[in-house]
Amino acid sequence: MAVTAPSGLTRLARGRRALLLPLGVAAAAGVGVAYLSNVDPGVAGHYPTCPFLAVTGWYCPGCGTLRAVHALAHGDLMTAWARNPLAVVGLAYLLVTWALWFERTATGRRPSWLAPPWVLYGVLGAILTFWVLRNVPGWTFLSPV
Amino acid sequence: MSDYGSTPPPPPPPPPYGGYGMQAAPPPNYLVWAILSTIFCFLPLGIVSIVFSAQVNSKWAIGDVAGAQRASELAKKLTIWTVVVGVIGGVLAVAAIIAFGALLGTTGSVNVN
Repeated sequence: MAVTAPSGLTRLARGRRALLLPLGVAAAAGVGVAYLSNVDPGVAGHYPTCPFLAVTGWYCPGCGTLRAVHALAHGDLMTAWARNPLAVVGLAYLLVTWALWFERTATGRRPSWLAPPWVLYGVLGAILTFWVLRNVPGWTFLSPV
Repeated sequence: MSDYGSTPPPPPPPPPYGGYGMQAAPPPNYLVWAILSTIFCFLPLGIVSIVFSAQVNSKWAIGDVAGAQRASELAKKLTIWTVVVGVIGGVLAVAAIIAFGALLGTTGSVNVN
């Protein structure tokens, strides 16, 4: 690896600069959520319709995410869950992932744990199942309406 | 699942924290990006990128370092393409919806997502 080991000070400086990326992502997400919190996606005309829904008439796995985030920004977990449960779970996963990313960047630690492959295939299966089921008539608890 | 009569080679030893081993860290699997691009951009390509994400882990787990790195590169490329296709398709779809709406003389449609 490195011929000369970086001194503690330079390593710290590099670590600080590296932290700008996760912090920038967090800031961008914050701006997005703030906008979404103020501009209600439940009102027609504020945002374009999901292209997949507009073309096919079916909900995609992401449909209802804007309204879910809007509800979450107002502290309404029940409404968020009703609009898109996958988005609520996904946001929690994103938060955890971001925290781990930040921690890794701050400490310079490499990831030491790898999820077993079946978990990843399980995630894929869950998304596809959710996509189909939320279009089944009567399964409104999964659909965004 | 992966047992076809032969025992897979042992996985690379887990690195100690802060270690400087060459193969200390598995290649990134870009799973987060693959999932996000699948849900919000272009589903068919996104599914393939999730599959390659999963292959990074499965190949690494059986000690196939080169295969895991190839899968990692492919997952990254496919995710980028998923976003590109999705964004272009989305812009075209929104333009078509607006044009169609203007054609019908309606102002604003039912808002979903």
